[in-house]
Amino acid sequence: MSRLLGVIDATTVIGGLQDISLNRSVASIPFAGRYRFIDFVLSNMVNSGVDSVAIFPKHQYRSLMDHIGSGKNWDMDRKKDGLFFFPPFYEPNENSSVGSFARLEQHLDYFKRSHQDYVFIANSYVITNVDIEEALAEHLIHDHDITEIVNHDQSLEMYVLKKSLLIDLIEDRKKSQFISVADVAKQPFHNYKIGTYNHPGYAAVMNSIEAYYNHSMDLLDNTVWNQLFSADRPVFTKVKDEPPTRYSSSSVVTNCMVANGAVIQGNVENSIISRAVKIGRGSMVKNCVVMQKSQIGEGCTLEYVILDKDVRVMDGVSLKGTQENPLVLRKGTVREMAVSK
Amino acid sequence: MVKKKCVAMLLAGGQGSRLHSLTKSIAKPAVPFGGKYRIIDFTLSNCTNSGIDTVGVLTQYQPLVLNSYIGIGSAWDLDRRNGGVSVLPPYTEASEVKWYSGTANAIYHNMKYIEQYNPEYVLVLSGDHIYKMDYSKMLDYHIQNDSEATISVIEVPWDEASRFGIMNTNENFEIEEFDEKPAEPKSNLASMGIYIFNWSSLKNFLEVDNVNEDSSHDFGKDLIPLFLNEGKRLMAYPFEGYWKDVGTVKSLWEANMDLLNENPGLNLFDHSWRIYSRNPNQPPQFLSDTSEVRESLINEGCVVEGKVNYSVIFQGVKIHEGAEVEEAVIMPDAVIGKNAIVRRAIVPENISIPEGLTIEPEDGSDDIILVTEDMIAQLRKDVTA
Repeated sequence: MSRLLGVIDATTVIGGLQDISLNRSVASIPFAGRYRFIDFVLSNMVNSGVDSVAIFPKHQYRSLMDHIGSGKNWDMDRKKDGLFFFPPFYEPNENSSVGSFARLEQHLDYFKRSHQDYVFIANSYVITNVDIEEALAEHLIHDHDITEIVNHDQSLEMYVLKKSLLIDLIEDRKKSQFISVADVAKQPFHNYKIGTYNHPGYAAVMNSIEAYYNHSMDLLDNTVWNQLFSADRPVFTKVKDEPPTRYSSSSVVTNCMVANGAVIQGNVENSIISRAVKIGRGSMVKNCVVMQKSQIGEGCTLEYVILDKDVRVMDGVSLKGTQENPLVLRKGTVREMAVSK
Repeated sequence: MVKKKCVAMLLAGGQGSRLHSLTKSIAKPAVPFGGKYRIIDFTLSNCTNSGIDTVGVLTQYQPLVLNSYIGIGSAWDLDRRNGGVSVLPPYTEASEVKWYSGTANAIYHNMKYIEQYNPEYVLVLSGDHIYKMDYSKMLDYHIQNDSEATISVIEVPWDEASRFGIMNTNENFEIEEFDEKPAEPKSNLASMGIYIFNWSSLKNFLEVDNVNEDSSHDFGKDLIPLFLNEGKRLMAYPFEGYWKDVGTVKSLWEANMDLLNENPGLNLFDHSWRIYSRNPNQPPQFLSDTSEVRESLINEGCVVEGKVNYSVIFQGVKIHEGAEVEEAVIMPDAVIGKNAIVRRAIVPENISIPEGLTIEPEDGSDDIILVTEDMIAQLRKDVTA
C-alpha cells in the first residue's frame, strides 16, 4: 500500500492557454490525440501505486468531471480510498499557485482522515511520465522537508512532503503568509529544507499556446513518444469506443500521430490528429494539431493551425499560422470560404 | 429478482474448427475482427444497443480468453445491478458432468439461470456472426404476430442456399418447414441463428426434447421441428442488412475486407449504434515519414513505417520500413519485419514476420494464407536453402 496521497491542484489558470481553455479547465485540455492534460499526472499516480487521489478543480469543471467520472478508467473507483473530487466552497481572492493553502484548507478533513503519511502535490499542466515512488525515496534519503520535482533544472511544480507538515502549513497560513506549497518551495528565507528530485525523462510544461503547439509536435519524435507512452507505465484515459481509423484511396499521410475513429481522405503531414476527426479529399493539413471531432472539408489548405474540438472548416478554406504563432480556431468555430467580390 | 421482459442467451461455445490455428486456443467468438473487435462484440453490442441488459453467455470450448475478455461486462455496459452479463460454462451435478451436447441442450442446462428472471421471452443468439441488428424490433414483431417462436432470416443467393438452414414460409412469413442444408432449396431465406421464444413454450419443448434419445438437441434440427409438429405459430423475421458467418479463413478475411469498401455494408462509424469492445488503451497510431497508407483501417498503438494497402491492422502492430502489407489482416501485436511482404493473408496475434520474408499466395490462386509459426520456419528454411 502506498504511503502517498495524491493531490492534483487543477485550480491554476494559465493566461497563455486562454484560447483553448475558455470552456474548460486547463486540466481537461485535449492533448496527444486522445488524452486530456490530467490523464498524464493521474496515470503517473496510478502507475506509482498511489491509492488515494484528490482533485481540486477551479470553475468550469464540468468537462473535467465528465472526463474523470468515477475514476473507473484509471482503476480508481475503489471501496477503500480511490478518487475524490473537491470543488471549491468559495474561490479565494488571492493569486494562486500550485498547492494553494486557501483551497486545500477547504477540505482539510481529507488530509486529516487519510492514513497515508506523505503527500504528492501536482499541477495539471505538466505532461510527463514520472515515477513518484522514486521521488518519495529521494525525499526520504535526503530528509527534505519539501522535495520539488525538476527536469533539466526546470521546476515541474510537483512536490513531495510529509502530510503533517502540509497540515501545519495550511493551519498556520495566516501567520506565515505562505500561500501555497509552491510558494514555500520558492521562497528563500525560511527554515524548511527544500530539495529537488530530477526526473530524467521527457517533461512538457504547458504555459502558452506556443508551448502547447511545440510539445504537440514533440510527440512525432520517437524518443519522446517512447518516454511518454511506455508500455509498463501506460497513460489511461476515458474510453470512447471509436472504431479504428480509416484511410481512403486518396489519403497520403506522413509523420503523423493519429487517434482512433478518424476518417482521412486528404493529405496530412507532421500533424496530431485526434479521435473522430474527418479530413476531406484534396485537403492539405500540414503542421497542425486537430482536436477531436473537428471536420475539415474538401480542398482545404491548413498550415500551423490548432483546431480545437468540434471545429468545422468548410470546403476550399485556406488558413495559415506560423510555428511561433500558430493560428487557433476555438472550440466549435465554423470557417467558411470568404466570398470575394 | 425483478422480472425481465426478455433475457438473451448467447451461444459462444463453438470451436470454429475451420478457422484452424486461429481457434486452437480460443473459442470462435473470441477471434479478433475488424481492427479492434472480437467477433462476440457485435452480438454483445447489439444486445446493449437494443436495450437487452440480461445476457447469459454459454461457453464450453477453450473459454479462458473469452471469460477474461467478457469479465463483468463493463465494456458493453452490461455490468448491471440486476441482470447484466453472466458467463455460463457447463457444470457438474451430484451425479454427472453436464457437457453441452447441442445448442438446445446448453439452454436446457441453464433453465435455472433464465427462471430467476422469470422472463416472458428468451432471445437465443449465436456469438459467431458479424452484423448489427435491433433485437427490440424483432421482439416487437414477435409480439405483434402472436408468434410462439420467431426466427430471423436473411435472403441469400439461390446458388448458396444449400449451405444454410432454410426456412420455407408462406407469403405472410409464417414458417411451414425447416430445411437444414437442403440439396434443392425451396426458399432462399436462411436462418441467421437468432431466435425469440415465448419462454413458457420454449421451457416446455426443451424438456420434451431433453428426454428424446434420438435428438441432437439442436435448435435448428430438433427444437424448431418440434414446435412445427405441435402446430405452433412460427414466424420468420426478414432481416435486411449486412450479416456474415465468419466460419472459415476465407470468409473471415472477406468480412474484414468488406469493411474497406467505400460504403461498407457494416458501418463501424455509426455513433447511434456503436460496437463496443474491451479497450486496449494504447496511444494513438504513429505513421512515420516513410509510411504509405491507402484504403485501410488501422487501430491505436500501431507504428507504421512501411506500405499498407487495403488492409485491416489491429492494435499494437508494428510495420517496419520497406515492408509491404496488401489485402491482409494483421492481428494484435504482430510485427512485420523490414522489407517483408505480406499479401492476401491473415497474420494472427503476436506473430512476427522476419525481415525480408515474402508471404503471398501462388500466382493466380485466390487462396488466403493463414500465417503460422511453422509456415514461417519452413519459408525461412526454403530461403536459406
